[in-house]
Amino acid sequence: MSSVRLYMEFFKGFWKENPAFRQLLGMCPLLAVTTSVINGVSMGIAMTFVLISTSIVVSLIRKIVPNQVRIATFTIIIATFVTIADLYLRAKFPPISKALGPYVPLIVVNCIILGRQEAFAKKNPLYRSFLDALGMGLGFTLALLLLGAIRELLGSGSILGIQILGTWFEPWVIMILPAGAFITLGFLIALMNVIDQRLKRTA
Amino acid sequence: MNISAHMIIVLTVVCLFSGLSLVYMNQYAEPLIKINAEKATQEAIFKVLPDVKNVETIERGERVIFKGLNEEGELVGYAFVAEGSGYQGIIKIMVGIDSELGKLTGIDILESVETPGLGAKITEDNFKGQFSGVSVLPAIDYVKGKKPENPNEIQTITGATVSSRSVVNILNATIKEVKEIVKETGPSGEGENE
Amino acid sequence: MNIILIFIAATIVNNIVLTYFLGICPFLGVSSKIESAVGMGLAATFVMTLAATVTWLIYHNILVRFNVPFLEYVSFILVIASLVQIVEMFIRKFSPDLYRALGIYLPLITTNCAILGLTLFMVLREYNFLESIVFGFGSGVGFTLVLLIMAGIREELEFADVPEAFKGAPLTLIISGLLALAFMGFSGIISTS
Repeated sequence: MSSVRLYMEFFKGFWKENPAFRQLLGMCPLLAVTTSVINGVSMGIAMTFVLISTSIVVSLIRKIVPNQVRIATFTIIIATFVTIADLYLRAKFPPISKALGPYVPLIVVNCIILGRQEAFAKKNPLYRSFLDALGMGLGFTLALLLLGAIRELLGSGSILGIQILGTWFEPWVIMILPAGAFITLGFLIALMNVIDQRLKRTA
Repeated sequence: MNISAHMIIVLTVVCLFSGLSLVYMNQYAEPLIKINAEKATQEAIFKVLPDVKNVETIERGERVIFKGLNEEGELVGYAFVAEGSGYQGIIKIMVGIDSELGKLTGIDILESVETPGLGAKITEDNFKGQFSGVSVLPAIDYVKGKKPENPNEIQTITGATVSSRSVVNILNATIKEVKEIVKETGPSGEGENE
Repeated sequence: MNIILIFIAATIVNNIVLTYFLGICPFLGVSSKIESAVGMGLAATFVMTLAATVTWLIYHNILVRFNVPFLEYVSFILVIASLVQIVEMFIRKFSPDLYRALGIYLPLITTNCAILGLTLFMVLREYNFLESIVFGFGSGVGFTLVLLIMAGIREELEFADVPEAFKGAPLTLIISGLLALAFMGFSGIISTS
């Protein structure tokens, strides 16, 4: 296995196959928890933890799971790791757990995780599945970070709780509301489409 | 081995592993989660009842009332959690009331999902601070658009009348209930029916 | 009275898609034609109501009774997945026409965050049995409603000149944002006083 290929396995999750912006998966948490950078990134870390853990386990047992029960098996594994992540957050980081609320358990139905098992982990060896999971998880976290930064900056004038824009700035409250989430994401994806077209033209 | 048996075995093993790891994780996390909840309640009580060193509890069914005692063991006041619906969802408030049950010592908004920039302002000191020292007799009341004239009045937030009003209504409803329970129990300083 | 409030809240005031962002995936994928929107909506509403009922029973009679509430997520998702499987087999057997109409939407419902989401909310808000059923049903109706509105708008937009970069997901998201804004007007219908 050439090291260039492995490198690609990791990086495809960032741009070319970014789960949020390109594959349009994981929209629910993407819109719900990005009211601030810290919330978005926390969700990203939790989700990446579940994705990597699940991919590792699935890849390890891929040869012994019969085809008919694979979805059920993967789902149980995902739900187990999500419960672990949720319990851990509630025990060690209560304010973040409160901020993320029910969206942590909702990682169970985050299409990205099951999607990566189906598309990759069930048919690839451990180290490649790990890289795939890490790349996808970080790519998703990047999307969460970007959306969170825009919404927090324009909606509260701060980043990571630190006031960046002074009192002259009247916050765009709509950014914190659901409407702002939808609209910002819509424009972001459109922007990425434009960038993609430009890149294709110059290539 | 035929397919069916294979399927059943795999599923059973996976479920077992899942169950075991969750039981183990829960044993680790549950006590920590309990401590976090207690800490949060204690912090809120100290916020609304200043000078309190010890807390005792009175329980009547689902209602829990905290008695705040100072260093000398004297009753400073009572604290309790009031909740009800606001504009966007449930509002949970920690309320502090003096030992005569005549004035509030302060409130702290524990949980709320009101509109950011408008109803969410109930968590700000401008609004919350009004409740420190407000009289609850005959009941807390609110005024719109002008300064309160009577000791039991507070001013609603401009553009967030419903959220402000909800807070007042939630407080009044719970204060009534708390007063009845405290009357039954008798204040500790007089050593009556405990 | 409370039941009616829960229903209204679930359908319009705190619409499951526009306020809680649940059910976005199918929302983006299925809302381009009114027919598919209706199909998806009805299937989802049926599963949601059923899921609320069954998960409530399991939570209160098994999980709480045996003091294992942390098994909530694992058991709920298994229940939902099984329910969808059973519903699919049922429809396939008793109404092949309906089955053909709903087609691929049924299995998609399992990963619909709205179903798991509403069961989680129902536990969080400590609804009783009847309240949970109404909440499940109301969420389904709210989901269908928004799906229908979006499908109607998108069918009209087919004749509009949309810039290339905005076609598809970006435009749907922006429209959803405007819809969410519009639905905010319903807040405050329910209040304590």
